[in-house]
Amino acid sequence: MKLNESCSRREWLAEVFQPWKRQRAEGVQGRQAMPVTVPPASAVAAAPDPPVARVAVIQGRFCVALTSFCAVCVERCPVPGALQITRGMPSVVADKCTGCGVCFDVCPAPRKAVLMLPLAGRLGAGPVTNMNR
Amino acid sequence: MKMNATLDRRELLKLSALAGAAAVAASRAGVAAPVAPSGVTAANPDAGIKWDKAPCRFCGTGCHVRVGVKEDRVVAIEGEPLAEVNKGLLCVKGYHVGLALYGRDRLTHPMLRKNGKMERVSWEEAVDVVAKRVLAAPDKFAIYGSGQWTIPEGYVANKLMKAGLSNNHIEPNARLCMASAVTGFLSVYGVDEPAGAYDDLDHCDVLILWGNNMAEMHPVLFSRVIDRRARGGKVKIIDLGTRRTRSSEFADHYLEFKPNGDLAIANGIAHLLIKNGTYDKAFVEQHCNFRQDKTAASLNGESMTFEEYKMALAPFTPEHVAELSGVPAEQIHMLADLFGRRDLHITSTWCMGFNQHNRATDINRLCHSIHLLSGHFGKPGDAPTSLTGQPSACGTAREVGTMCHFLPGGRLVENAEHRAEAEQLWNVPAGRLKPKMGYHTVLMWEKFCTPTNQGGDISTIWVQVTNPGQSLPNLHKLFQAKKGLEDKFLIVSDVYPTATTELADLVLPSAMWVEKNGLYGNSERRTQQWFKMVNPPGEARDDAWQNLAVARRLHDLGHPGLKDKDGKFLFTFQDDAGKEVPVWEWPRYYEMNVDKVLFEDYRRFSRVKHKDLAPYDEYVKARGLRWPVVQQADGTWRETRFRFAEFDDPYVKKGAGVQFYHSSTKDDRAQVWFAPYTPPAEVPDADYPFWLCTGRVLEHWHTGTMTMRIPQLHGAVPYAYVEMHAADAEDRDIGNGDSVLVKTRRGELRLPVWVNGRSRPPRGSLFIPFFDERLLCNLLTLEVTCPISKEPDYKKCAATVVKAGPQAGKVGSI
Ligand code: SF4
Ligand code: SF4
Ligand code: SF4
Repeated sequence: MKLNESCSRREWLAEVFQPWKRQRAEGVQGRQAMPVTVPPASAVAAAPDPPVARVAVIQGRFCVALTSFCAVCVERCPVPGALQITRGMPSVVADKCTGCGVCFDVCPAPRKAVLMLPLAGRLGAGPVTNMNR
Repeated sequence: MKMNATLDRRELLKLSALAGAAAVAASRAGVAAPVAPSGVTAANPDAGIKWDKAPCRFCGTGCHVRVGVKEDRVVAIEGEPLAEVNKGLLCVKGYHVGLALYGRDRLTHPMLRKNGKMERVSWEEAVDVVAKRVLAAPDKFAIYGSGQWTIPEGYVANKLMKAGLSNNHIEPNARLCMASAVTGFLSVYGVDEPAGAYDDLDHCDVLILWGNNMAEMHPVLFSRVIDRRARGGKVKIIDLGTRRTRSSEFADHYLEFKPNGDLAIANGIAHLLIKNGTYDKAFVEQHCNFRQDKTAASLNGESMTFEEYKMALAPFTPEHVAELSGVPAEQIHMLADLFGRRDLHITSTWCMGFNQHNRATDINRLCHSIHLLSGHFGKPGDAPTSLTGQPSACGTAREVGTMCHFLPGGRLVENAEHRAEAEQLWNVPAGRLKPKMGYHTVLMWEKFCTPTNQGGDISTIWVQVTNPGQSLPNLHKLFQAKKGLEDKFLIVSDVYPTATTELADLVLPSAMWVEKNGLYGNSERRTQQWFKMVNPPGEARDDAWQNLAVARRLHDLGHPGLKDKDGKFLFTFQDDAGKEVPVWEWPRYYEMNVDKVLFEDYRRFSRVKHKDLAPYDEYVKARGLRWPVVQQADGTWRETRFRFAEFDDPYVKKGAGVQFYHSSTKDDRAQVWFAPYTPPAEVPDADYPFWLCTGRVLEHWHTGTMTMRIPQLHGAVPYAYVEMHAADAEDRDIGNGDSVLVKTRRGELRLPVWVNGRSRPPRGSLFIPFFDERLLCNLLTLEVTCPISKEPDYKKCAATVVKAGPQAGKVGSI
């Protein structure tokens, strides 16, 4: 495995996650979110949520699953089906995502692989520049 | 696309953000990416950063990282592309390893308990307190260290105890994790540590994970296997386990067995190999003897004939094995058929599933034995390989011999010849080394926690680089019982407050990882070196220095053991000019490379068992070298990947093919063992109907003292939980996230339930990770040990679950 072969990882991830998908589909009650009764410290310390509807987007190139193993966002998303594993990588189903930001909080990637974007068209959606505060 | 992916990935590797919690919190609102301290940004990734190499601080995989330092602070981490182990990749822990240094509550001053309160004291006073505790009762003093000791640290402590104090009460926490692998290797090959290397993972056609969740515990190794599939390689992964894990998700076959069913499965495979005539007759005739424990359990057992071996295996028909293990007979056939094929290369790996087992030595032996029996040994891709959990379990605990029955280099305390050799190498008078083994870990702590007038003859323990207050089994009995025993004294050298420092009478602040020089030895016999790159905080100091300072104080207070045969101090250090440097004076410690002197001193011990180490400077150049490292005719040093195989191991006789040159039967043969099926020590019953298993998760390393202080990892898995089967939960009206009480005969613990979570225990089973200091699952575990290795079985005991209410209590408050 050479460094410059990293681009092949997407293909192999698609292959290796095959059994995983099968197992999820067969799961007794499907996947359950990890029980988080108290938000992580980072969330407690944070400023209140901006008054905009948001949606999560996974930036695959920062995702730890690209080079190693991670599925923390999928495990912790409280909305069934909002985060899926597609070709080995997590991706957000925008229609189901409530924009709660849990996946952003918990993503342990060196550079957050989750981006919270304002959802244009939803009630309260603000201009993009508001997100940079 | 190709170009971009590569660029992005490099950027990702560079930007292992060493951003603190504040940056994470600040960025919560949206797109603001965490910015590493000191202005390291994507646009300007290298500004003023000095890079150097070091092995990762966490697991036994032993990945190499490049450490970026700026203004006396580690500011960036990237995977080391030059390292064979990880080739530039890291797991999620590795990316954040630099942050392990920067938790807010680092210990920065020695603290002594005075009238029940911890008060700051000077190093001078602290060293004095330790020395006087030793002098007051030298035989009741013990050191409890770890597989995270650097090699020189372990060596100093070992020499101080055994050669200086004539005291063998020194143990590493590796007794809790690798001791059974050691007894397995010793009883099969006559010498410790794997014959194979990680290279086997690149060559095997079949990988069998024996109770080994490699995807979470050795993630970079696992990605090495998984990556082969991407390049069109075919590798069949068979996962044998007692619960479904992340690794099962990648497996072609998942075989779920009942606790201790592994003993039956291994015997079932051997039975079929013999019955079907598919064992490797030539290999067995040339290279193997047969052995068993006829009466009592012992390291070397008694020999048996092939006929007796066959007879012993006779009952282990696939049907009988299915009954004992719960794995269907056709799956046993499938495994035996694979082992029976000569055209396949089979690698087996294991870790705590085998080693923390009430018959741990037996299951280690059996796994080696089916590889030997079927000739799946000594070729690339054909290897039985144990993995370690700690970064230097092999390097420090096993090779330096920091256990109560070992001397450095694979020598034994009870062997007169070995003692004499060590006395000669250490230049101490004959008879200085005590012939009696010290107390093994469980016994040491039991004696410490027993009142002195009731036979508790350990009065002081100095804990270094480990956290027994969280990791010992049955904590009430083996640790917390210390409370209230006024004459017992606990000394703890550590970097953060832990469950262990809570009961400490003296706390010594230590330097960690790249705050000091070091050498580690990983799972594949690879010795890795690094240099100090940043200063430790406050008054924190190197563990090796702490040991040397205490040794010197003992010398100055007149303890005769601290002098060698010639009346000189046991530890002398000369700089390159030959001038003696009193390194026990802290300001002078880094005037020279103390590690180098200690390593060169230790290196002389390594050859007797052909664990040859190269000179220190070779490791400075390399990204680790695997022993035996042997000098070539041209003066270069060559590492060995495959031991006992002629094509790679220089110590194998020409023409022998395979030679077990440390055979315990002195005939160059390995021992194929028979060991019966034995049930677990504690089995579920009406009162305690569940199996309870404990272990790790990907994001946290061992007791979490480092990873729980890294915001990204803490956030990813914030606290411990108990996993159970959905149907079991439903039966008890327990929902996901409900709080439950898990009880065993030893204690109880309130935890949130995670149903259908990361791992999936079968019906009647529970799993709790042990990283969370607020939720100590070792209050529940059993201290029953393997009779040979004395390693406790953390993987199975009987438990019950009671619903406790909708709230998870105060967990998550940290
Ligand atoms: S924002 Fe919330 S709902 Fe949307 S994917 Fe992330 S965790 Fe799931
Ligand atoms: S939590 Fe972050 S790094 Fe992990 S899989 Fe999700 S997006 Fe990737
Ligand atoms: S696999 Fe182990 S050694 Fe490698 S980066 Fe992860 S924790 Fe560190």
